[in-house]
Amino acid sequence: MTAYQFARAAVSQGHEIYRVFFYGDGVLNANSLSISPQDEKNLPQAWHNFLANNEIDSVACVSSALVRGILSSQESKRHKMADMSLCASTQIAGLGQLVDAALQSDRLVSFG
Amino acid sequence: MSALHTISGSPSTGLLDSCLMLVGPGDGILFIQDGVYYGCPPNHLTVISPDNALFALREDLIARGVLSKLLKQVSPVGYGRFVELTVSYDKVISWS
Amino acid sequence: MKRKTLTFVTRYAPYGSNKARLTVDAALAAAVFEQKINFLFIDDGVFQLVQNQNAEMIASKTIGKAIETLELYGIENVLVDGSSLEKRLLTPADFSVPVKVLEAEQLQKLTEDSDVVINL
Repeated sequence: MTAYQFARAAVSQGHEIYRVFFYGDGVLNANSLSISPQDEKNLPQAWHNFLANNEIDSVACVSSALVRGILSSQESKRHKMADMSLCASTQIAGLGQLVDAALQSDRLVSFG
Repeated sequence: MSALHTISGSPSTGLLDSCLMLVGPGDGILFIQDGVYYGCPPNHLTVISPDNALFALREDLIARGVLSKLLKQVSPVGYGRFVELTVSYDKVISWS
Repeated sequence: MKRKTLTFVTRYAPYGSNKARLTVDAALAAAVFEQKINFLFIDDGVFQLVQNQNAEMIASKTIGKAIETLELYGIENVLVDGSSLEKRLLTPADFSVPVKVLEAEQLQKLTEDSDVVINL
């Protein structure tokens, strides 16, 4: 929630977000099959809307994602699973994308 | 180069002690999530040099009902100011 | 592009959470970008360095083995906070890889000199 609110505030101040990288349990924010109780915010849905509306590059770490069942349609087919679960606004890729973001941006902000 | 340190765990995590090992003169410390309890009594934060500015995220203070207990040397900040702080310091180091 | 100094900090014991693994994996990924990389162990993170780990016993991958590959990937600055060692009655002789022990002022200088500090 903190990362999401921070990202929204950064964009509203006119900053460019080079990439959002979901790592470890953070990849659960890219789970399109997550359902929240009616009176609670659906954080993956909120992230998806925010990333899509602002056309922000978003990556879920492949090893963190697969082990938690966050699968793109491609990964789902490759592993002969029944369905995909990755939000459409996010891609699955390796840790190189985190390092690339750290090198390309003038600030890296991470949330545990 | 200065750093903004964010601390997101309560005092029982010992995160502040770890953070202080890497805090240099002129660095800032921002308490977020359960880290905001560091900004309230019985903590007094006197181990931190007055040279290091202290902040706590207002939303997290209000959510936990502790905004009124915030120590006077800690400034409450919203998300907008949080973003500005990440720009005014050269880098951000997160402690979670 | 200017070469950056990336410092990875790890403060968790090797197997209680996946944080130790996430940090060493990220550092190994960073190694191929040919930047200046520091890998710093503080607090319980120093337990990751203890030699003769065998995590097969707990159905995990042995973190100590990944740490031994840091040098192979060109990460030579393997650094340890001296006070964290003292508190745990450890010395560099207990470790599987050579480390540089840093004192308080050196730790502050390390972060000051870093462009990016990754502390997961």
